[in-house]
Amino acid sequence: MRIWQVAILVNLALAVGLGFGYGTWGRRLTTLDGAVKTSQAQVEQLRREREACFAGGRFGEQLWEGRGIVRAVYPKLLLITHEEILGLLPARTTGFRLADSANHGRAHAGDPIRFWLQGTGYDNNMLVRMEAW
Amino acid sequence: MTTLLFGALWVNLAQCVLLTGAFFLLLLAGPPATDFMRQWEERVLSWARWLVVVALASGVTVLATQTGLFEGRPEAALEARAIWHAMLDTRPGFIWMVRHGLLIVLAAFLFLGGDVTARQNWIAARGEAFLLAVLALVFLGSSGHSAASSESPWPQANDMVHLLGAGIWVGGLAPLALLLYGASQHAATPDPYAVRTMQRFSRVALVTVLILVGSGIVSAWLLVGGVAGLVGTTHGHLLLTKLAVLVPALLLAAASRAVLPTLSSPTAARPSATARRMALFIAIEAGLVLVLLGLATAMTLTTPARHDNPVWPWSVRISLDTFREVPVLQRLVQRPIELALVGSGLAILAIVFLVRRRPILLFGTLFVMVAGGAARGLQPLIIGAYPTSFACPPLSYTAGSIAEGMAVYQEHCASCHGTLAADREVPRGSAVDLLAPTTARRSAGELFWLITHGRPDRGMPEFETLLGETQRWHVINFLRAFGTTTDQRRVGAVVELNDAWLIAPDLTVSVGPLTPTPLSDYRGKRMVLLVLYVLPGSRARMTELARQYGTLSILGVEVVAVPPRSAPEAIAELGQSPPVLFPVVTDGNEDIAAAYRLFVPGAAHAELLIDRQGYIRAIWGSDQTGMPEADAVQAQVERLDEERSPPPLPDDHVH
Repeated sequence: MRIWQVAILVNLALAVGLGFGYGTWGRRLTTLDGAVKTSQAQVEQLRREREACFAGGRFGEQLWEGRGIVRAVYPKLLLITHEEILGLLPARTTGFRLADSANHGRAHAGDPIRFWLQGTGYDNNMLVRMEAW
Repeated sequence: MTTLLFGALWVNLAQCVLLTGAFFLLLLAGPPATDFMRQWEERVLSWARWLVVVALASGVTVLATQTGLFEGRPEAALEARAIWHAMLDTRPGFIWMVRHGLLIVLAAFLFLGGDVTARQNWIAARGEAFLLAVLALVFLGSSGHSAASSESPWPQANDMVHLLGAGIWVGGLAPLALLLYGASQHAATPDPYAVRTMQRFSRVALVTVLILVGSGIVSAWLLVGGVAGLVGTTHGHLLLTKLAVLVPALLLAAASRAVLPTLSSPTAARPSATARRMALFIAIEAGLVLVLLGLATAMTLTTPARHDNPVWPWSVRISLDTFREVPVLQRLVQRPIELALVGSGLAILAIVFLVRRRPILLFGTLFVMVAGGAARGLQPLIIGAYPTSFACPPLSYTAGSIAEGMAVYQEHCASCHGTLAADREVPRGSAVDLLAPTTARRSAGELFWLITHGRPDRGMPEFETLLGETQRWHVINFLRAFGTTTDQRRVGAVVELNDAWLIAPDLTVSVGPLTPTPLSDYRGKRMVLLVLYVLPGSRARMTELARQYGTLSILGVEVVAVPPRSAPEAIAELGQSPPVLFPVVTDGNEDIAAAYRLFVPGAAHAELLIDRQGYIRAIWGSDQTGMPEADAVQAQVERLDEERSPPPLPDDHVH
């Protein structure tokens, strides 16, 4: 084989090696990273569903835990400035519907509380329990 | 360990540079047409085989020593697992793998050899070797300071161009010296192919040196920053030494270039002797540039000057701030002697130019005038300086720091320099008025030096033993905030478009036990209306703000309410009808109030509108401008939104 052919082959091998390397390991790494995150989210969801089940929830319901400060108390609603609620909401101020069991009569504006939300998702949840933070 | 790393890095860099230059020169010379050129090429290839082996060996040493340094224990340099970890899990390790993979392919190419008598085979063999050597060299730019200190690809690209230029120029010198020396040994006139190669290299080297200088200036600008970094840091000193070594190398190159025409001139006497002399010049030049490579390696192991605290070496520095106080024309009128000198100089110049147009007279007169004018005219620009003149404060410009500084000032400084009261006392004795422009002109580092060491000539004691270093920097943050209160520019209830200058000190928005947020987190995202409220006087306004919060929020404004004292019940005190949904600070309030009350004195309700960049743009104080109205605040927010060219983000430290 002539040297110019060897040179072309070497360059091709480098380029193809790089391309295949990214195509197999690089892309697989990205896919695996995504799969790990999805699995972690699923594990978290299962954990929350199990906790909801222990708390008497129905099939498919989850239980989220949050921490925040009460900003306003209404008969069926509590406005809370809360930290991030993992798997549900970022840190912000949100109004949560109250379950009868929540015993919110003791909450006042400015109170720091830990609270638990039960439901199936962002648009279907209810504050079921709270305690002083 | 660091010395070993330095040595290995230097050797590795030098080998890659020499390999690049050697193959570039072989390509420049073209396929050998004479026996002499064939012998020279064989000699260069033999060198190249050794160079690539040494490059790989030094590379292994670099990786091992870097692993030891990464792990913080020297024995890790010999542990396969630690080295494997450094290779796979760090960016320098990844780049090391790529570079040395290329060097291994290059070594295979060189040691396997092959028949290169056909022209295309020769070009393919030398071209491939050059390409591999270049890639192994320029990827070094991906693991240097530029790559570490910037996410932009341009600084890295600049470094790569610099390395490529070094490879072509620096690396080509040694084989060129060998070529010229060999060419001058066997005949009265040097081999014509050698002369042709020298001529080609000379043209390429000129362009390469210009590229090197250009990319070097860009790199220095990015990593050194300024004169203080250049003269006051180890990184800067190495750069200056590099320049000092570069000058004789360039002079030698210029000398070689000057005698180059005599090599091929048919009328020149003893061209072989000239070639020998050039070979000597080029060999010395090659030695000097190897020293340059050592200095460049040392620079990669030191903190870049821009990120280091420079130690100013002289007792004076030039400051253009004096022009801020006295306009240039007024200053000129105050100096009739200098004006007369410049006038007569111009007259002489005009006469000389009109009578005899001799460049030497023209430039001589100009030089005398410029030198004389500079000597006299620069005098007012020269001010005293200290080793810490350009030091960067370790503390950010925060409300907490200003409040701390204020407390220290009142305890240790106010008795001489004056109190903070509105009707403040005149400084006592020879003490300096810290609100005077001369003090404002001092850099933060100079104030630090003066506080630390005092001014015995003015009776000011040193505070190095009395105050900790942090406390001294707190005082400087306070002085900078205090200094803005006497600025001729005022911030009122109406936003002055395109005039952002009053930096809002950073503060921590702590609401109960929620995770605290720094004010600087809003930069680039939202405006902030900082409300210093006092109950019960502010009750009506707070109710109005609670109602208006939705509108303000849509306009991109976050309201941050700060009562005068830290209290967990601050939110409850505001009541819940209407609900107050904006952050109400419950911790660190005293510091925030102390710092921000410098901009809006008094104890009454006040509001400060901070733009998206972090500058205070409008201030309402209820006892000065009256209680702000909802529409007035909203109008100023909308006015700020109209600003076409927002100011740059302010620095986190005072200067």
